[in-house]
This record gives sequence, C-alpha cells and structure tokens, in this order.
Amino acid sequence: MSDFDEILVGEEWENTDLSLLETLDHVLNRGLVIAGEITISVADIDLIFLRLNVMVSSVETAQEVLRKRELAE
Amino acid sequence: MKLYVYCLAEGVPKLRETPPGVSDAPVRIVEFEDLSAVVSVCRSDAFQITRKNALAHHEVVRSFTQQATPLPARFGTLVTIEQLRNYVSTHRQAIKAKLAQVHGGLEMNVRMIQTIAGTGSSQSSGNEPMMGPGTAFLLEKRREIFREQGGAAQKEQLSAWLREKLGDLIKEEKISLVPSETIILAKADHLIAREDVHEYRTKMAQAVEERPEVRFMVSGPWPPYSFANIELEFSRPFGVS
Repeated sequence: MSDFDEILVGEEWENTDLSLLETLDHVLNRGLVIAGEITISVADIDLIFLRLNVMVSSVETAQEVLRKRELAE
Repeated sequence: MKLYVYCLAEGVPKLRETPPGVSDAPVRIVEFEDLSAVVSVCRSDAFQITRKNALAHHEVVRSFTQQATPLPARFGTLVTIEQLRNYVSTHRQAIKAKLAQVHGGLEMNVRMIQTIAGTGSSQSSGNEPMMGPGTAFLLEKRREIFREQGGAAQKEQLSAWLREKLGDLIKEEKISLVPSETIILAKADHLIAREDVHEYRTKMAQAVEERPEVRFMVSGPWPPYSFANIELEFSRPFGVS
C-alpha cells in the first residue's frame, strides 16, 4: 500500500461532511481549466453553462450539507 | 461524441486499475505524443452536475495520482477530441512546465480562522456628520485600502510563520485571505514531496499547538488541484476578448 493509500483524503476529520466540502471545493473551484464552459443537454438541446454556474452549484451543494449538519446537531 | 477530461500527465501510456468515472463510464488514456489525458468517452452531451459525479471525478484523479502526479482538470470539463488536441498542442510547453513543477508532489491544505478582537477602529461609527455621497465614497475607499494593506501584511506574516514551522517541506505555496471585519479566514495551499506527507502533518500538529487562539483545519494529501492552473488561462474572461 502506498503512502497515498494510507492517508485517505480528509480521514482525520471526524465530520465527513467537512471532508466532502473540501473535496467539492477542490474539484469545482480548482484544477486545470481546459474549456471555459461545460455543455449540458436537456431534451437534445445543448445548454451552455459558464464556470460561474458550476461555482453556484457548488455553493448550493455546500449549503445543503451545512443545513443537514445543523439539523443533525 | 465528447470526452470528459479528468487530468493530464506525462509519460504514462497505460492506466492501472482505475475506478469508474463520471456516469459510471470506463476511464482510458488518450495520448498526445509524450503527454496523456485521462478521459471517459461521453456518448451523448448529457452530463449531470451531481455530487456523485463530482466525487467520481475526484476518485479517478486520486487513483491516477498513485501512479503519477497529474495536472487535475476541473470538474465538468467536456471537450471534443479536436478541442483537447488543440489545447494540448497550444499549451504544450506550459503543460510540461507545470507537470515538471508538480512532479512527485502532493497538495496539503491548511485553513485558519481567527476572531479579531476590537474591530471597531476601521468601521464606520455611524456618528459621522452628514456627508455627501462623494465624501462617503472616499471614506469607504480609504477603509478598503486599509483593509487591503492589512491583508497583505497578514499574508506575509502567515507565510513567514508557516515557512518557519514547515521549512523546506514547502515546494510551493499559495496563501489567500478572506477579508472580514470580525474574523480572519486564511487558506494556505502547499505543494510538498509525496514522501514528506507524514513529516508535514507532524510539524503542522506541533505548530497548531503554539496557536491556541486560531482554529486550524489541515487536510490532504490531495492531487495538486491548486497548482494545476496555467498562467495563460483567464487572460481573457471565458474566452471573450
């Protein structure tokens, strides 16, 4: 097992929601931008979503996680 | 047909066992001479922005990072093979330079939250005499400048402190501060050698003990998401001149 295997991302955090938020932060807000847009098809019609929409999506997801945490506490 | 892109790498012609990608699609490698892209074939343009797919993206990148340090692509990167070929061709030197920079490295993140005591000095007292909109604007600009100057100084202090504690473990560093009147939220992203992960965590744990007034969150190792961007990007917002 490699060093990378042993230390799972966020494993030391007791709250898995925080780990999830960190993961989403990395994949949604960082990383190489190869294309400035992503394309989503709905009913065979291509819709163009700019990066900003992806970030909005991440915020919504984050808020959902935080809401669940508050309810659980 | 489009390709969903997970990451770019150099000198990796074959994949080891990799988890399924977004929408459970199999993952494969597309080669562009000595550079490779880890992709899934997207048979239609339908792509769901879901938590499951975001995590699948990360799992593929994470799995690949055990094989070699890549440049992770951002979630949701759908391109045609021609677009990907053009991108790699156009940015070949920059991609290779970035890959050399992150080679053998992993990313660690530190988040710090500190409450500011006595925050009234830079805020409006609410008792200023009646002023025109021009004066109000200039006063707000002055406060903004003070905040920016304070933020820059805090960034330097934080960077110096982390370097004192972590020393040569840091190959590269990115620090950002989120300004606020009541708290300081600081984020430090570090690129370190993968064999230094345990030492990094040990030293950070010791450093945390010295600053009880600050809340810390340390996470990682991550694929080098924060160090993947090529400086040429975003010279034009969303490709608009």
